[in-house]
Amino acid sequence: MASEKGPPKWTRWGSYAGLVLGGIAACIPFVWMLLASFMTRGETLRKVFVPAEMQWENYLLAWREADFGLYFENSLIIAVVQVGGTLLFSLMAAYPLARMQFRGRDAVFACILATLMIPETVTMVPNFLTITWLHRQSPFAWLDSWPALTVPFMASAFCIFLLRQFLRALPGDLWEAARIDGAGHVRFLFQIVLPLCRAPLLTVGMFTFIGSWNALAWPLLVTYTSKWRPISVGLQQFVSEAGAEVHLQMAGAVIATFPVLLAYFLIQREFTEGISMSGLKG
Amino acid sequence: MGVANYAKPKSSVSRCRRGAVVVKGIFLNDFLIMSLLIFLLVLGACGQNGEPVPDGTVDLEEVDPRGQEVTFWYQHTRQREEALLELIEEFNQKNPHRIQVRGEYAGGYGDIYNKMLVALQGGGIPQIVVAYQNQALAYYHADGIVDLTPYIYSPKWGLAEALEKDFIQSFVAQDRVGGIQVGFPPNRSMEILYYNADWLRELGYEGPPQNWAAFAEMCRKASLQPFSRAAKKDRSMGFLLEPDASRLASMVFSRGGDFMNPAGTAYTLNTPQARAALELMQDLVRSGAAGLVGEPYADQTDFSLGQVLFALRSSSGLPNFKSGVEEEGVGFEWKVTTLPHEGSEPVVNVYGASVSVCRSTPAQQLAAWLFLRWFTESAQQARWVRASNYFPVRKSTARDLKDYFGENPHYEAAYQLLDYGRSEPSVAGYQQVRRLIGDAMVEILDGAAPAAVLSRLEREANKTLVNP
Amino acid sequence: MKNKGKEQLIAWGFMAPALIVLAAFGLFPIGYAFYVSLHRWRIKQEALIGLEHYVRALGDPQFFAYFLLGLISIWAASRWFGRRRWRHRRSLVSVVVYALLCAVALWLMSLGLPGMLESGDGRLYNGFKVTFFYALGTIPVQLTVAMMLACVLFNSWRGKGFFRVLFFLPYVTPVIASAVVFRTIFSPHPSSLANRFWAILGMEEQRWLYENKSVVFLALEGLGVSSCPAWVNEWFPSLALVSIILYNIWVYIGYDTVILLAGLSAIPAHYYEAAEIDGAGSWQVFRHITLPLVSPTLFFLSMVAVIGTFKAFNHIYIMRTPGARDTVDVLSIAIFDQLFEHHDAGYAACLAFILFVAILALTLLQNRALGKRVFYGE
Repeated sequence: MASEKGPPKWTRWGSYAGLVLGGIAACIPFVWMLLASFMTRGETLRKVFVPAEMQWENYLLAWREADFGLYFENSLIIAVVQVGGTLLFSLMAAYPLARMQFRGRDAVFACILATLMIPETVTMVPNFLTITWLHRQSPFAWLDSWPALTVPFMASAFCIFLLRQFLRALPGDLWEAARIDGAGHVRFLFQIVLPLCRAPLLTVGMFTFIGSWNALAWPLLVTYTSKWRPISVGLQQFVSEAGAEVHLQMAGAVIATFPVLLAYFLIQREFTEGISMSGLKG
Repeated sequence: MGVANYAKPKSSVSRCRRGAVVVKGIFLNDFLIMSLLIFLLVLGACGQNGEPVPDGTVDLEEVDPRGQEVTFWYQHTRQREEALLELIEEFNQKNPHRIQVRGEYAGGYGDIYNKMLVALQGGGIPQIVVAYQNQALAYYHADGIVDLTPYIYSPKWGLAEALEKDFIQSFVAQDRVGGIQVGFPPNRSMEILYYNADWLRELGYEGPPQNWAAFAEMCRKASLQPFSRAAKKDRSMGFLLEPDASRLASMVFSRGGDFMNPAGTAYTLNTPQARAALELMQDLVRSGAAGLVGEPYADQTDFSLGQVLFALRSSSGLPNFKSGVEEEGVGFEWKVTTLPHEGSEPVVNVYGASVSVCRSTPAQQLAAWLFLRWFTESAQQARWVRASNYFPVRKSTARDLKDYFGENPHYEAAYQLLDYGRSEPSVAGYQQVRRLIGDAMVEILDGAAPAAVLSRLEREANKTLVNP
Repeated sequence: MKNKGKEQLIAWGFMAPALIVLAAFGLFPIGYAFYVSLHRWRIKQEALIGLEHYVRALGDPQFFAYFLLGLISIWAASRWFGRRRWRHRRSLVSVVVYALLCAVALWLMSLGLPGMLESGDGRLYNGFKVTFFYALGTIPVQLTVAMMLACVLFNSWRGKGFFRVLFFLPYVTPVIASAVVFRTIFSPHPSSLANRFWAILGMEEQRWLYENKSVVFLALEGLGVSSCPAWVNEWFPSLALVSIILYNIWVYIGYDTVILLAGLSAIPAHYYEAAEIDGAGSWQVFRHITLPLVSPTLFFLSMVAVIGTFKAFNHIYIMRTPGARDTVDVLSIAIFDQLFEHHDAGYAACLAFILFVAILALTLLQNRALGKRVFYGE
């Protein structure tokens, strides 16, 4: 690590070169994706690298053929519900785990962390059974509707872990002061802690958003109609059905990636801050 | 190093410490509690069993299908889906029983299969579903679909006479496994050989290869003498082989062999025909006259660019080849034919998914069947063929397809080959065996001795038959 | 006392929604998988068969017992050695006992392991092997490169935000999209991007995702060694797996970098100031300040990565090819095949439960082995 006062010039240039190289490596697949999305089918067959002419209508075609408009809307609603629910539930769960004394606290936390260790392949079938059971028992629909798509993910061990780490680091006097003012835990959490949590919540929200936006196997399983099918499923369907039409596939991929990129770009400052504020710091 | 001292306590650092220690210590201490919790959950799970499916001992003639709603899961997209939905709409409006069919795209074949397996346990299966024979058989064993035989031969609802006279027998027979009609066949296609006729002429041949020796010779020549209009001259090959069981099946069938013994009780994968087929391929690959398909549709792509002389694919790919060669590719005269064959007559590999009726109420089952019956009628089949490029299930449909044949001579050429059809095994574990066959093909093309690999393959494949 | 009861109530009330969701959709599946694994269960539940599936998967119970005893003695040895009493004054006796326990453990494991491999399910052990290669290929490289990038970025002057977005790009791209792109890039076609790049380097074209031969075998072949023993292919990752490893590294470097960067930015500046006064070199600063202070972040990332490799599924599923055969089939892929291709839910659940126990054990082990070295302040 270089100290402030001038490291040798070559180190500086070397690190810049490293950065740029790394940046290029990170980009190449992306650039390829972008370029391919503007090609004609003939160009993708011939595997040229740069399209002779930008085929903007690929996007229009992909958008129309794959019904991306509807999927987009679905994904957005699903993501909003899921992010909202996850943030609320995770924060509520993280608070007592971080700042309250009660019996079995560590056991609960251990159980929560254990849920991190199961592959989706394993959880899929039992979770589907649970959902169908709920679908039959409850007055409103679960399958092929938003509850099946969001409720199972409304609490995530990862989010609880991150938020708990953050809450632990809050100074203890805050609570003392609040209690003197006569605030209970509920008021303390929602009036005092919540505003302090902006950055970590945004961070956790971002992770949840990425996860929700990119989820694939589960949405395919619990949706029967396109009414609630998210964009990842639309993209997968498009990719597997479009066969050799790489250009349209890539246009679809760019469309599906764009919102996540935008979201990250908008909050990337808070994102970094959020990570460093939770317990992951040195 | 004295520097280490700088990393001494500051409040901000020590605050995280407690958290870390807890993360470290929890697991062992609390594992017991966790196990207990899991145990309780298991107990909860035990109570949750599927209810028995009602048995269909109702008299079929008495069932009333009026006003039933049925859901149809299919894998079609784009123009196929549009055409299917149009047909469904017409059925919904015109059928005298006011049956309402709702068509739903449910993912690819694999996705549908996964969804069905899961739904069979938890509920939520549709009334009609697209399935390959081995998938349908798996559903049948799990009591998920019904035997269509009683419906076909029902005096009131059936179509026994048409089945005998008009249906293409091999199609229907493919869905009849051990006397049980597990499905009905509107999505059939066959494996055909696409070839670049212009290039063949350049190489000095009048027509496509009649036997495998001629095929090999043409491939070798093609690798030495690139097509004059090829996109890139540095890569020229006779053939790209996809390591897929259907490709091997076609080659074995064309040599007069089969994947199973006549009784259908054991796999016969280590036959002289299979060995000969793979030895030839191995030889061609070794000499650079053939290669392995390295990415999805690479054979089709390279064919349309004039870099590969032959392509072995399903007839349902005809429109893709057409647009590939004529619009995006280098443009040349291309044709389709049967595979080279050793006997006097060719044998082609016919396959395709069918449609099965799921177990539900007798009325819904009947309604589903009535839709299938309507869908396989000649007029509807003609429309379906135009949209899907599959083969019609009835011979009489050909009359309605005259103009289509005229516009699509390749399709007609393929259609004329239907009489030579033969099909791959339709036993329950075949999906698994397909994977094994694909692996074995790769191994042999990599240079392993065919006889050794195939004898192992046969052993492993037969193991899957032991527990059905 | 009454007040304490109320506290308890509030605490559980707060946690209730999350706990219900996690119990229903996180813990219940584990229990359910175990329950299913004890049955013959194809598409629907059949007979109860006890541990038969586990015997089929792991092999002869006798050998497994040896192996388990070996594991227990390793655990005992580490407990023995780690006891507080010995921390500061490690006597000869303790070292001897430790060595003895370790020797016994090794002996027991060498007794058990070959038998298990012989009589157990080859796909399970192949899955473990591939997962091991996969973890070994991804995690160290990923973390080292990410650490370097984070340090450079942290000290760099402008464009920090730009690079932060750039490096994070792969992580936010939907897996289907990026895996399809990689599938095209690493295709065996002579004009694929990977092969063109390879050609620029003057190398022969490769089959990448279609290659089931190990990288070492290919390297030796390239050097002109014509006859390699079979174990060279057995005990090194295939080129197909390495291609997938490259994908994994590509995706997660950005993620690791961003999180490490946050870790770095949280190190109080006065450490560096003090070090500068002391005249410490940049390597010394890195070794004695940066590394220890960022170690909890590194530890966290490595833990997430280990769990992640065991759970890896989507991208491998998309990028697996017939050519690669079983050389890329990590455990979760093997489980998926059992479930949906062989439709044997009972056995799939058994494999899944074994996988869960393996992840749990590994996380515990990692906690014990690495957790101590992580610096959390005094």
